[in-house]
Amino acid sequence: MTTTLVPGPPRGAPRSRGARRTAVAWLFLAPFAVVFLLYTAIPTVAALGFSLTDLRGTDLRHPLAVDFTGLTNFVRLFQDTTFLRDILNTALFVAVGVPLTMAIGFVLALVLNSGIRRLRGTFRTVFFAPVVTNVVAVALIWQYAFQADGTVNQALGAVGLAGPNWLDDPNLAMPVVILLGVWRNFGTAMVLFLAGLQAVPEDVYEAASLDGAGRWRQLRHITVPLLLPTTLMVSVLLTVFYLQVFDEPYLLTNGGPLGSTESVALYTYHQFGAGEFGMSSAASFVMLLMVALVSLVQFRMLRPRS
Amino acid sequence: MPNLSRRGALKVTAGLAVLGTLGLTGCGREDATTAAKASARPVDASPAAGTVDVWAAQGDADVLEKVIKPFKAANPDLTVKVTLIPNADYYTKLQSAIAAGKGPDVAQFFPESQAQFLDPSILRAVPDGLVDPDGFFESLWAAGVVDDVAYTVPWYAYTYALVYRSDLAKKAGVEAPATWDEMVPFFKALQGAGAKHGLGADNGWDIFNGQDVAMYAWQAGGSLLTGGKWTLDTPAMVDALKYNASFFTSGAADTATPTFLDAQPYFVSGKTATMITGPWVVGQLDTAAKKDGWTEAHVATAPLPAGSAGGVSFSAGGTWGVLAGAGNADASWKLVRYMAQPSTQVAQFKAYSSLPAVIPAWDDPTIKNQPLLAAFLTQLKKTKAFPQVSTWQQVATRIGKEMEAVAKGTATAEKAAANIQSYADSLGTGTK
Repeated sequence: MTTTLVPGPPRGAPRSRGARRTAVAWLFLAPFAVVFLLYTAIPTVAALGFSLTDLRGTDLRHPLAVDFTGLTNFVRLFQDTTFLRDILNTALFVAVGVPLTMAIGFVLALVLNSGIRRLRGTFRTVFFAPVVTNVVAVALIWQYAFQADGTVNQALGAVGLAGPNWLDDPNLAMPVVILLGVWRNFGTAMVLFLAGLQAVPEDVYEAASLDGAGRWRQLRHITVPLLLPTTLMVSVLLTVFYLQVFDEPYLLTNGGPLGSTESVALYTYHQFGAGEFGMSSAASFVMLLMVALVSLVQFRMLRPRS
Repeated sequence: MPNLSRRGALKVTAGLAVLGTLGLTGCGREDATTAAKASARPVDASPAAGTVDVWAAQGDADVLEKVIKPFKAANPDLTVKVTLIPNADYYTKLQSAIAAGKGPDVAQFFPESQAQFLDPSILRAVPDGLVDPDGFFESLWAAGVVDDVAYTVPWYAYTYALVYRSDLAKKAGVEAPATWDEMVPFFKALQGAGAKHGLGADNGWDIFNGQDVAMYAWQAGGSLLTGGKWTLDTPAMVDALKYNASFFTSGAADTATPTFLDAQPYFVSGKTATMITGPWVVGQLDTAAKKDGWTEAHVATAPLPAGSAGGVSFSAGGTWGVLAGAGNADASWKLVRYMAQPSTQVAQFKAYSSLPAVIPAWDDPTIKNQPLLAAFLTQLKKTKAFPQVSTWQQVATRIGKEMEAVAKGTATAEKAAANIQSYADSLGTGTK
């Protein structure tokens, strides 16, 4: 009996080591991949499928009654004045909420970074508290504060002013809901700006001082340009948050009064609750596209020019 | 075979995830139908045995274990497992469990919103002779019947009536209103006697006050569903929306308050003087006032004022159904039969103040001797069931939203009725 030696890959060859490393990498990635597949990828694909059908809650028992309807749900969405109004409401959340949150966060970060260094930790905690506080508890407190005979109107009454019905007036409910969003988020913006500010080298400011630049010029020509990457990140984060805003309008007004605070996310939720799974999925995809589009534009507009 | 290519496209488009989900939910319709027919056999009087799983919503069912104790004692070979589920999640959990084929044997339903479950693939037909259909309030029994097949057995009942401050009415020298035209003047009179608002109208603007407007439409002679088509832009619906809005535009009610949970404290403190509400309120006002006997001294009840077609209200409450997939249908029906007995329903009233759905139980002195409940009994005899179609809840929610616009003066009643109709038309009745 003869044995034929077949040349195999040499031990410890780069390819084999690479394969092993890939396997290890997959092993480490596996927990994330499983969670991502189960809770993000599969539901997303399923939702895309649902959005192209006339699936309703009652159909869950009779799956064969579900019809493929193509883009009908999307057409229906854009013919629905409620949905168009909700897109405008969401745009208002973004247009007012993002700049306001960023401005407050930026100013507070500047203050914390300069004058009151010794109390920085305390103030950072105080201003960051709304971010980590349970939104349901906060919203309940806001609801009591802004109801017809709530704390806010009692305070106004104490100085002789008659307060309005904040949450029942279509013109006033939105500002209150946005204010809650800003209050919950400016802490995040502040912490990120603060981190950005602390990364700016002191000697740049010292050099500018020697050249006779005042505080305002330093802010305009050093701080703001150097913070551009942070600003980009904060603005994208906040825009994505406000485009998907749900908790604040849901908990404070449930989209009312007269739909004046209903966001696209809340529309999606209401459609789902009504058993309109197809419409709800279509609306969620419109929201996804909005988020993708706006983020892309922001990245292009705000990316640092070399 | 219709729509085969569409189904093919669905599979391709939605992929395994969709089909996986749907596959999970497609628990054999054919088998279930057969089972429903089989269970329609009469249920004998022999003791029940085995295990019965019961699901119910928290609330009236909280006292279930206590109420069925005598039944358990009489059926020693039977184990009844009661699972209580928070009210808000109840239908969602039940629907998912049924879809996954893991539902209980017996489940509680709400007659005002159970239409989506009345299907042989979900519920078994009530066996012949199990209970006497004529013993129940007519509309409650009717709420469980589709195509002449009864799927649920009524358990407790409620309807809306007027609950008002008798002390303020006495001071103002007015009697409870009997017609629509007398409503706003009555509220104004109570305001004159010291109430801030004559009516405490719930303004959740959702399915619940949508149901109120549906009830007013009946009072105006309307019909919500005629010949399988929605009829919601009728003159009766317009009248109903205007009638409801008149409470607010006249200043008798405030669009801002109270919310559902505030209603009783507002009523007790005199911020509001009337509620259009259910009988449970009567038993809770002493607690809200923190004073025993407060209700007796301050409160009266009356049936709802009549529109052009009378003072009809809606029927609501609780019912029981045995699921198509029930493993122990015989014992399940025996339990349901026990729940429907007048003596059991009186026990349920004593334990939780749930008013009986079976009329003879109202002759029990415990209930008969409560003067504030008399108006509810009168009203229960003049009730209608909401449409038994699966999209009713969505339509009622839309009515709630549109009535808000009319009450706040941003839409005319005619426009709102047209919006409701077109929305309901776009939904259909849930049958394909």
